[in-house]
Amino acid sequence: MLGFGEDRLRADMNRLLALLFHQGVLDEQFLQLQQLQDETSPNFVSEVVNIYFQESEKLLRNLRELLLDREFSDYKKMGIHLNQFMGSSSSIGANRVRNVCVAFRAASEQNNRPGCLRALELLEHEYCYLKNKLHELFQIEQQRVLAAGVRYPMQN
Amino acid sequence: MAALQKLPQSSTSMTSSSYVTSCKADIVVSDQFPAGLRVLVVDDDVTCLRILEKMLRRCLYLVTTCSQATVALNLLRERKGSFDVVLSDVYMPDMDGFKLLELVGLEMDLPVIMMSADGRTSAVMKGIRHGACDYLIKPIREEELKNIWQHVIRKKWNESKEHEHSGSLDDNDRHKRGSDDAEYASSVNEGTEGIVKTQKKRRDAKEEDDGELENEDPGTSKKPRVVWSVELHQQFVSAVNQLGIDKAVPKRILELMNVPGLTRENVASHLQKFRLYLKRLSGVAQQQAGIPNSFCGPIEQNLKLGSLGRFDIQALAASGQIPPQTLAALHAELLGRPTSNLVLPAIDQSALLQASLQGPKCVPVDHGVTYGQPLIKCPSNMSKHFPQSIISTEDVHSSFGAWPANSLGIVGPTSNLAGLGAQNGNMLLGVLQHQQQQQKQSTMPEPSRSINVQPSCLVVPSQSSASFQAVNSPASVNQNCSFNTIPVIDYSLLSPQSNNSSFGVGQVLDGDLKTTGVLNGYSGPGSNSPSMSSCSVNADIGANRQVQNPAQAFNTGRQLPGHLPNMSDIQGSYSSKSGQGLDQGPLRNLGFVGKRTSIPSRFAVDEPESPMNNLNHGKIYGANNVNKVKQEPNVDFIDNAKVGIPVSQHFTSNDLMNVFSE
Repeated sequence: MLGFGEDRLRADMNRLLALLFHQGVLDEQFLQLQQLQDETSPNFVSEVVNIYFQESEKLLRNLRELLLDREFSDYKKMGIHLNQFMGSSSSIGANRVRNVCVAFRAASEQNNRPGCLRALELLEHEYCYLKNKLHELFQIEQQRVLAAGVRYPMQN
Repeated sequence: MAALQKLPQSSTSMTSSSYVTSCKADIVVSDQFPAGLRVLVVDDDVTCLRILEKMLRRCLYLVTTCSQATVALNLLRERKGSFDVVLSDVYMPDMDGFKLLELVGLEMDLPVIMMSADGRTSAVMKGIRHGACDYLIKPIREEELKNIWQHVIRKKWNESKEHEHSGSLDDNDRHKRGSDDAEYASSVNEGTEGIVKTQKKRRDAKEEDDGELENEDPGTSKKPRVVWSVELHQQFVSAVNQLGIDKAVPKRILELMNVPGLTRENVASHLQKFRLYLKRLSGVAQQQAGIPNSFCGPIEQNLKLGSLGRFDIQALAASGQIPPQTLAALHAELLGRPTSNLVLPAIDQSALLQASLQGPKCVPVDHGVTYGQPLIKCPSNMSKHFPQSIISTEDVHSSFGAWPANSLGIVGPTSNLAGLGAQNGNMLLGVLQHQQQQQKQSTMPEPSRSINVQPSCLVVPSQSSASFQAVNSPASVNQNCSFNTIPVIDYSLLSPQSNNSSFGVGQVLDGDLKTTGVLNGYSGPGSNSPSMSSCSVNADIGANRQVQNPAQAFNTGRQLPGHLPNMSDIQGSYSSKSGQGLDQGPLRNLGFVGKRTSIPSRFAVDEPESPMNNLNHGKIYGANNVNKVKQEPNVDFIDNAKVGIPVSQHFTSNDLMNVFSE
């Protein structure tokens, strides 16, 4: 009975992951991340992804501040933020967020403020979507682990 | 390419590229080796830092992470010698990664690997210019990190070389030159794999960063190629002289030259080549000068080498001040480039014959005679291959003056011998001996030993092997003796081969892709440098192995004087090769060096997927080279496949077990 529930939860997880891959939200790098999870760090993925969320929210805040500033001119700083965002997003396999970052950076390099604003909107949207979906994924995983009767300390 | 493709066991031969041997070293030397490498990771992005840390730990490296460049710098300063390699992000708020790179390079001379999500050519170029030994583009994969130990070994080897030869920069310089060549070779190979793609890539890159590239390859640029005529080159040279070689920048040169239609890029690429030539020139000079220094052997050898030393001084002077002769020589080489680079030495040579007959001003006549001889024996060979029209006798004549140690002394006889060698090995000996005798008569009637040394200098296409012998000899005299006559044959057998091979490679490449002409020309000219580079890389291998495990038995019986044993490693392999007659080993090595060093991260990407073990690496790569274009779809396929598979595979074994155990 217990095993059955666990199986179903795993199927749910796989479906969700497949969907995210299909949508291009995640890419192969996410699998790399999952492969790094081993017995020495059993919740490595969620740990890293949580760091990513924290950092990304900081970055998004900074980007918004930079852009909403009336006498805004610091495209260089924005480029650096975006570069970091790109780096971390690609490192966890957040493919769509990364792609928006690339477009964002292109706009910022052309000092194209409207373009930057649009890109920021899109970036926030993509980020939220990713965050929701990954949370969903981790929740299912947590349930699954519980269902399997093994208590890993999930999500600090 | 064809020559490169059939490389059956050569990968297992120890003189192939560093890649193979490093793989081999892993197996043969110790499975432990890269484990415990002390890595400092600096990245302001905590996410990446965490992932990198984890990946590096899985490689069994000792990892220290740091999220601030300044902290990292302090750490490096306080704990000098407690890190082997630094991985640094490019963009960091407190200190630019390039700045850190510079400081680290200046203060502690550690290998620094840059990483960034910014993979644009301009950014990578900047990293390289600042002295990064590698540039990884995020997302970084574990396979890329597995390999970073090679930079540590490479660096260590360089340092040990410097120690061994305090006072003479030759080896270091040669090594650099070797890597230069390797770089060129690598781009050549890249070209082979899919010229269209490369071109496209470059074009994209160019559009992206408005012509910031300084070492563009004119072959792939879409602009019409500039023909560097004698006049144009002289203008260029006088501009460079006016500015001073160190301060000469393309823009200023262009202004001074004031030639309509010439672009900054044209000048930049020409300048780069020019610099390379100067570097090589001075390298040659130093190296040759270094031989007598490192020789503790019989004195007469020194005397004998003195005759070579004369040219060295010339060449040295040339490298410093760029007198017209040298320039003409450079020019001759530069000019020869468009047609068929590898042909150059022979052109030099055939014209050299004329020149020497006319009575050149600074070269002893005996040289002319000795080189003339083999030429006469196989004149048809030479003329068949090489169009004569490119270089006027005037050019060649002066190049004769300026390049004797290099093109004359080394390439001359070997390429002649190459023709003969295919037919009869004994004849080689005959010719060589003949040469020796002639030299003996005209320059110095000394015992046979001295002759032994000189032919090796003359025949061996790369100065490196000449200096190998020189390095070896102080350690044990009898070793020198044992090489007495044999090495002459060895080398002569070997060197024609390596010449041949470089010819072959060059021709094939030329045929395949016109665009690599320049690159080719650079790795190829005089056909010395390819083999030179292979030699230096080989030496590298030897060093690697020695560093890792001195017990490894590759030195065929010859015990080495605690001093640079790897050197004799190489010699050992050389002579054993030649013992097998016309073994094609060196030829393959030559190809491999280019290939191997060129293997981009794409292969590293493939690596884990390939089911073969390390022992087979050489072969894998051999295959990869062939299938390179196919590999990419492969990767894609894997990606796609992974989307499905891991989804179902994930959390399998453990959890299932748990379920059942309950």
